Amino acid sequence: MAPALRPMFGEQQRFMLFLITPAALLLLLFQVVPIVIGANASFRDWALYNPKKIWVGLDHYRAVIADPAFLEVVLPNTFVFMAVSVMGALILGLALALLLNRPFRGQKLVQTVLLVPLMVAPVIAAIMMRWMFNDQFGIVNAVLEGLGVEGQPWLVERWSAFGVILLTDIWLWTPWFTLLLLAGLQSLPKEPFEAAAIDGTTVWRVFRHLTLPMLRPVIVVCVVIRAIDAFRTFDIVWTLTGGGPGRATELFSLYAYVHAFLNLDLGRGSAAAIIGGVIILVVGVALYRLVDRVAKA
Amino acid sequence: MLFALALLGICFAFAFPVLWLILTSLRPESGVYYVHRGSEFTLGNFAEVLREERMVEAFVNSALIATLATFFSLLVTVSSGYMLSRFRGPASRTWFGTIYVFRCVPYISWVLPLYFVAQSWGIYDTYIGLLLPHIAVHICFFSWLMKGFFDGIDPSMEHAALIDGCTRWGAFLRVALPSALPAISALAVLCWLFTWNEFLFALILTGNRVPVITVVMAQFVTEMGLRWNLMAATAVMALLPAFLLALFGQKYVIRGLRI
Repeated sequence: MAPALRPMFGEQQRFMLFLITPAALLLLLFQVVPIVIGANASFRDWALYNPKKIWVGLDHYRAVIADPAFLEVVLPNTFVFMAVSVMGALILGLALALLLNRPFRGQKLVQTVLLVPLMVAPVIAAIMMRWMFNDQFGIVNAVLEGLGVEGQPWLVERWSAFGVILLTDIWLWTPWFTLLLLAGLQSLPKEPFEAAAIDGTTVWRVFRHLTLPMLRPVIVVCVVIRAIDAFRTFDIVWTLTGGGPGRATELFSLYAYVHAFLNLDLGRGSAAAIIGGVIILVVGVALYRLVDRVAKA
Repeated sequence: MLFALALLGICFAFAFPVLWLILTSLRPESGVYYVHRGSEFTLGNFAEVLREERMVEAFVNSALIATLATFFSLLVTVSSGYMLSRFRGPASRTWFGTIYVFRCVPYISWVLPLYFVAQSWGIYDTYIGLLLPHIAVHICFFSWLMKGFFDGIDPSMEHAALIDGCTRWGAFLRVALPSALPAISALAVLCWLFTWNEFLFALILTGNRVPVITVVMAQFVTEMGLRWNLMAATAVMALLPAFLLALFGQKYVIRGLRI
């Protein structure tokens, strides 16, 4: 009798493989394959109306990196957006979490209200803000005029438009920070705070030397996740300003989209998408290292 | 007292844009430019939006895709998260590293080339062509979340089941899965919301045949930017399912948001 064929993997390995195969397959087909094909397209002349697919080497990369719109507008915009929106939402969210970290009546109601922005699609948030900041009929200008201040054409100037975008993003994400930090605060041990209260330590010193260090791991994770997501923001900018006025509020995702689908140059769009991907990977790793070190210090 | 006032202010600040949107959606065409004045109210905007076939189609498509994506997404990520949580070693480490890296890749970097991949596969502007990326996108984040949830569940019950002669699949499906149900519900709510709210995928991967609500609304803003009452009515209707889900699944949403 021939011996039974020995399976290539042990029983446990086969089980592990089965568990991740569907996920791995989907990831391969819908993320890895497109990225590889996009990388290929980024080296070719791939106009949407006439894809000749001739090899052009690094031309698209050179064009993107040498593009003043990319260097002087898109990149600074993206990083300013990332920094201000994450820091703004973090500071506001932390302040709210500290305020709410005590028992009071109506806690449930406040929690429900805080959940509201998290349910709102970014597209809808952008539509709401666009309407509120409408230069002729928006409520913001109506209130300002009621106060005797002249209304502003908010979305027509670069920095005010950028401000509205930032405001929308901070409105959307502050509650997320609040809920996570509140959960973090509630899981902290009580004893150090009681000891500080007995010693009569000031509120600021308790915050600076007790709360903040103990909360640091939660803050670190929140900031890294949000920063990486903020880098790829598309919806709110697209709906609020379309990258305008002119191209003054374009972020990296919009830049790649505009080149691929409005200028119909998939090669250049793909190159921009890859440059952005590489930047965020580098930034992501650096950010993680940096905050990791801060957390341990 | 001061505390109560602060609370009131905070609630107002976070709810105001939505309240304003709802108020706008109830104003007739003539009153929409002075929402804060006048007292005529109407439900006509909602009726007018629903008369448009494309709008109704978009709502149905969005709901269908969100529901299917939630189902399949959980199917693949729950098992992948279980693997990450229960096994150590190189395979587990490699898979974790992979999903960690792909979590960072910006959507545009793979959805943009997916546009011509989808075209060459013949799935551009079809249900399946929109559904599959929506399932793929959550693999990284949800596997990660699911690993965390399973880490919080004591594996000794599964060991006991294995010793009693249960297969590995049996231990996973009959022992671990039931105790993970609250976490799975949390992910289901989150996944449905994310898919319902997603914009970029549909913008790039669909044309006219599969309208979804976020894309239709964004087009609406640029094409009929002046009809704010209709715009607001559409947005309110798009918010409604998300709000209902959040209201009834609040417990789960909060759990799901806790990384």
